[in-house]
Amino acid sequence: MNGYRRLSWLLILLVVVGALVGAVLAEDPPATEAERAYEIKETMLCPVCDGQNVLESNAPVAAAIRAQVDELVDEGRTDEEIRAWMARQYGDDVNANPPRSGLGALVWVLPVFVGVLASALLVLAFTRWRSGREIKPSEEDVQIVRTLREKS
Amino acid sequence: MTALLGTVGVWVALAGALGASVMLILTLGIRQDERHNRAFPWVAVMVSGCVVAVVAMEIALLTDNFSLAYVAANSTKTTPVLYKFATLWGALEGSLLLWALVLCLYVSAVSLNFRHQISDRLVAWALLTMLVVCVFFFGLLAGPADPFGTLPNPPVDGNGLNPLLRNHPLMAIHPVMLYFGYVGFTVPFSFAIAALVTGRLDERWLTSTRVWTLIAWGSLTVGVLLGAWWSYEVLGWGGYWAWDPVENASFLPWLTGTAFIHSVIVQERRGMLRVWNLCLLLATFALTIFGTFLTRSGVIESVHEFSASSLGPLLLGFFALILVVSVTLVGLRGDQLRSPGSIDSPLSREGSFLANNLLFSLFAFVVLLGTVFPLIVEAINGDQLAVGRPYFDRMLLPIGMALLLVMGLAPLLTWRSTAGSVLAQRALAPAACGAGVMAVAVVAGAEGVGPVLGMGLGGFVIGAALRHLVIAFRRNGWRGLVGRSGGGMVAHVGVSLLAFGFIASTAFSEEGEFQLRPGDTGSVAGHHITFVALTDTMDGPNRVVRALIDVEGRGIHSPAITQYPTFGRPIATPSVATSFIDDVYLSLIAIPEPDTDSVVIRVLIEPLVAWIWIGGFVIGVGTLLAVIPVGISRSARREEEVVRR
Repeated sequence: MNGYRRLSWLLILLVVVGALVGAVLAEDPPATEAERAYEIKETMLCPVCDGQNVLESNAPVAAAIRAQVDELVDEGRTDEEIRAWMARQYGDDVNANPPRSGLGALVWVLPVFVGVLASALLVLAFTRWRSGREIKPSEEDVQIVRTLREKS
Repeated sequence: MTALLGTVGVWVALAGALGASVMLILTLGIRQDERHNRAFPWVAVMVSGCVVAVVAMEIALLTDNFSLAYVAANSTKTTPVLYKFATLWGALEGSLLLWALVLCLYVSAVSLNFRHQISDRLVAWALLTMLVVCVFFFGLLAGPADPFGTLPNPPVDGNGLNPLLRNHPLMAIHPVMLYFGYVGFTVPFSFAIAALVTGRLDERWLTSTRVWTLIAWGSLTVGVLLGAWWSYEVLGWGGYWAWDPVENASFLPWLTGTAFIHSVIVQERRGMLRVWNLCLLLATFALTIFGTFLTRSGVIESVHEFSASSLGPLLLGFFALILVVSVTLVGLRGDQLRSPGSIDSPLSREGSFLANNLLFSLFAFVVLLGTVFPLIVEAINGDQLAVGRPYFDRMLLPIGMALLLVMGLAPLLTWRSTAGSVLAQRALAPAACGAGVMAVAVVAGAEGVGPVLGMGLGGFVIGAALRHLVIAFRRNGWRGLVGRSGGGMVAHVGVSLLAFGFIASTAFSEEGEFQLRPGDTGSVAGHHITFVALTDTMDGPNRVVRALIDVEGRGIHSPAITQYPTFGRPIATPSVATSFIDDVYLSLIAIPEPDTDSVVIRVLIEPLVAWIWIGGFVIGVGTLLAVIPVGISRSARREEEVVRR
């Protein structure tokens, strides 16, 4: 690699790192109460509108859930408590995020498992292809090389 | 009369499909290959029958023939002509009729294209497979999903479609494009089955279906994006993709189809991955049928859901049949499918295609799992749970980022093996492009590692694609820009533009809700909007309330809310003040109370959304360029052949 190219890569690396640092610094400070409420609402599905969350929906029940979330956040309940409360009121399927325990947790675990397994198989295939390519020199080949070496 | 005409059309088409199938089974069975062309007249009968049925339905729709149950349920006298026409695909039975029509078009095109090669058993088997699919769909139309059922006492006026389906012209285009994609995969699927049955598993069948696969893929891509655009312009929540089961159903075949059009290059070039490519094609077609099952059986709740029907078991049965036949054939031919050769290095073009396939398959797996998981859990222990957008976002964003990385690297790698120093030299300009995009994004106010990194990867992909295009242009002139690699790179640029729009609009959108009186101004993210006036008019039987809003620098926009007499809750129609930088998305929250002069307006500022649609257009152009056969000079072709050997 010549010096010019090395310099260019260094420059690119600097810009990338600089941009990422800038991106982190620009990020808002930790969540305020209102932002916490917003994030919870984002993951609450409106029970009557097929997949819209309560922020997007204009249905009365969505408005009610929004108000309840604000209230519970004001009372200082944790996210988990609010989600559990909503699930008791409106059923488990009010939470857009499937549960992390019980049978429902499989939906989180399976993709990771399949991803790791598939990657492992691919790596295995590569190593097998690679080892298959190594050709062992025959007796004859070794003999030829030996005679050549002796000559020189 | 029209009903009779339509019913006759469907039955004639079914008879034609059956006749052609039986003819082909006979001639294939007794090995009289020169007689396969006797199926063609039956194919013509089938196509004519289908056209008659579609024309009959359109006449019934356009002339308000409410004696047909379908017309009475889905159309009204006051529906504008364009939407009367489009009502053909507005509900269950009609949409299957459109499916059958598109299938007939593909069968006709294949028959015309291969009419001189029909004595080839491979082509005959492929045609037979397509005809069996036709028999299934006409069978549905002749019985369980009869679009021509009549009412003994026709109503004076019909119910009309859901108003959401008749207030935007995209509704007339999106489903048709989508079906051209969905149904188009029948062609490569049929050739794959034919290759398996005849045992002719060399690369010839692939080459002959290349163009068909690309056309199907391009239509599906554009169709899905038009659906997203429609959702953005009509539904009023400011989004374009909700990971709704029906969206997922159209996305799944796209994912496996995209994996296929990439990995097939490895097979054509190196003769490898034969089993894998066949499986991808079979899976793609199976997923289109599975998606149809999900959306037309009522098993899943969705905004797109068609009325619950008895088609579920039939579609599921057909899906199972496809699966059993595919698995059996692949199993029987397994030994012949073992491909020669090996992949030398992960850092090679082949290696990048494998990584692409791994990621796309994983992506498809997550989408499929997330879509059917609530059904599975409910079946096992009765729990009702939801798998919503946050789940898909969290699981799929890392895969999407990895895909962008591979997408940028792949064009820089050589076949067989790439030396690190070569890659370092080739990747320099694209990496600089990516770094530049990141710097610009941060300066423009982007925040957070994920979004900024994603945009940088998008820039890297564009850099790599442009590098390829520039080199190809220097070498071959304009011809360097067409054909699979040229068109493919143009499509890559489109995907990156789309990624910019997607990342910016999801990560950096801002919103505000204002209660405004005439003359009041509200502002979000530097955009000032002023409420000018309210209009309250009747459009035929519908009451339309519009708020005239002056968006600073972008003129007057008027979000509306409409009360339809035949539909309970009022429907809000958003208005979008668009630009290349950001969209100001306005929607009216509710019909204002009669005694006030203030309105509640929801304002969303969504950066770069326009680039999603521009990106989709560029992908479409790229696909068209890829379909154009490369007219490389004869000497170059000879050279390539030598290299291949």
